[in-house]
Amino acid sequence: MRKITMRAALLEALNEEMERDETTVLFGEDVGKFGGINAVTKGLYEKFGSTRVFDTPIAEPTIVAAAVGMAITGNARPIPELQFGDFVGIAFDEVFNKMGKWRFMHGGQMEMPVTLRLPIGIAGGAGPEHSQSPQALFMHGPGLQIVIPSTPYDAKGLLKTAIRDNNAVLFFEHKVLYDMKGEVPEEEYLIPFGKADIKRSGTDVTIIATALQVHTALAAADELAVQGVEVEVIDPRTLAPLDMETILESVRKTGRALIVHEEPKTGGSGAEIAAQIQEGALFDLSAPIRRIGSPDVPIAQSIYLEQFYTPSKDQITKAVNELMEY
Amino acid sequence: MAETYVKEVETKSYTKEVLVDFYKTMAKIRKFDENLIKLMAEGKVSGFYHSGIGSEGLSAGSIRQNLRDEDYIYYNHRGCNQKIAKGVPLSKIYGDFLGTIEGTTRGLGAGIVHSADPSRGVLGQAGTIGSQLGLSVGTAYTSKLTGSDQVTVVYFGDGAASREMLHGSLNWAGLYKLPIIYICENNEYAISCHVSETHSVKENIADWADGYGIPNCVVDGNDVLLMHEVVKEAVERAKRGEGPTFIEAQTFRHRGHFEGDPYDYVDVEILQNWKDTKDPITNFAAKLMLDKVVTEEDLEKINKEIDVEIAEAIQKAEAAPLPNPERIYEGLFA
Repeated sequence: MRKITMRAALLEALNEEMERDETTVLFGEDVGKFGGINAVTKGLYEKFGSTRVFDTPIAEPTIVAAAVGMAITGNARPIPELQFGDFVGIAFDEVFNKMGKWRFMHGGQMEMPVTLRLPIGIAGGAGPEHSQSPQALFMHGPGLQIVIPSTPYDAKGLLKTAIRDNNAVLFFEHKVLYDMKGEVPEEEYLIPFGKADIKRSGTDVTIIATALQVHTALAAADELAVQGVEVEVIDPRTLAPLDMETILESVRKTGRALIVHEEPKTGGSGAEIAAQIQEGALFDLSAPIRRIGSPDVPIAQSIYLEQFYTPSKDQITKAVNELMEY
Repeated sequence: MAETYVKEVETKSYTKEVLVDFYKTMAKIRKFDENLIKLMAEGKVSGFYHSGIGSEGLSAGSIRQNLRDEDYIYYNHRGCNQKIAKGVPLSKIYGDFLGTIEGTTRGLGAGIVHSADPSRGVLGQAGTIGSQLGLSVGTAYTSKLTGSDQVTVVYFGDGAASREMLHGSLNWAGLYKLPIIYICENNEYAISCHVSETHSVKENIADWADGYGIPNCVVDGNDVLLMHEVVKEAVERAKRGEGPTFIEAQTFRHRGHFEGDPYDYVDVEILQNWKDTKDPITNFAAKLMLDKVVTEEDLEKINKEIDVEIAEAIQKAEAAPLPNPERIYEGLFA
């Protein structure tokens, strides 16, 4: 099968869905002629024209608010982008209260087919406000679906599902993954929300990881296999809805769970997953549930210090070995 | 600087039917409001209520005869005035306040905010004042996308005009030449703060629109016909593809910001003067009678009909049941 980058896979999804549905409209800062600072939207402006693909002023609250205002007419399917996921803080009310709650607050009379794309993650000295992974904040916000792919295949299938969905989607893209290649078939496919993917099967320890950390976990699993420890790596792919069934089934089998993400550890998505594991499988556990996240301090600007925020392969193998001692 | 909109408007330029419709709409809004306050006093409605008494001309004049069902509005925090003018059934609005399933939210409760009637272009309202300024540019952009001639009218108070969102909204509206009409209902007070204490303007709030190259004016919001004329021109401009208009409509609220507000921050004489000399309904009724469009008996008859309509609406809203507790788990997702 052909291998393409996640950037190319995302662009294919956008191209195909914009061709398929002429009510789609894509906008954000520099996403038009320039093709986006991550080059994910290259060529869309030329292909679909300046009404359906447009550059906006630097105005994150208005970008998200406008998407909501378009969607609720029933005549548009907006795909806005925030240049950095960190900027969601500027548009917090529009995301948390308007995108997530407008339909419910108004009695379910309108639909919210908005796919908001948010590039996230530590990616080379970008500092504390251009490197964060804020997705867990929105697990606390009803009405928002949270997608976080780790491979080009997942990215394409999930983005196509997101755009077709009639509810709000926050689509988090880890910037380091844009250049990562993976198998993507030529023919069309969709990936449903709420369906975790077992990236590697194993019997001793379950690792639940998202985005870039799926790859770190897989690398650790390779190393651990040499020592004779078989790790199962599960990528939830969507944090809302969250496929606890697949996670619990795995934990019941292995009796050991490790959650790895780049979000700060405290209050990260791992906290919710850990809580739900103990609610559903406490007596199947042989060891305490472990979490690895980034330290609970702002991300340093220094490219030297930055590496100490990203969970490493060594941290994972160490944690797995400790779990195996129980 | 924003100019004051002036136009010689005579009743003879309108049909009797249209003039009566303006009067009826204003009277209906006021009686709706008075009866809602009564329901609050009876303990049947709780929460915030921001009375729109004193500003009925602004909403009736801007909406009636200017907007179609397919034109969109975002109402403001005295927005029952606009919802009624746009034709949302009274029983539905009362139902939202009473929390019965007759309401537009089918029992979730709403009223000052969160009532919606998409079939009449009423797309709802945010609890965070002024957020509609952001949504409205998206809605107006949709007309551009689909090539329709639908216009979007966004209402907001002088207080909401302070929101940062106004800048984003005006910038987009001017930039993309969106078919949107901004109606700033300036009643001078954001709860207790006078506009002069919270706004840095040359003279009027409408002056802000100048910086964005958006045509703007100040108008007497209590003159229903003047409101009708100024908005009519703005709607026509929007339909011609000439973009947004900013209208600052000056008015005054007869009651406090919320029911229970002591309203002691306003000079008693100033308030009395607005009530005595600038009441939009009293003045319009006098004009209609002076110009012999209607008689006092005609108006009495209209008012009696409205009383019946309102009593029936309240009865319908009150008779509907409260929702089942499971209602809160319905409708989060499509």
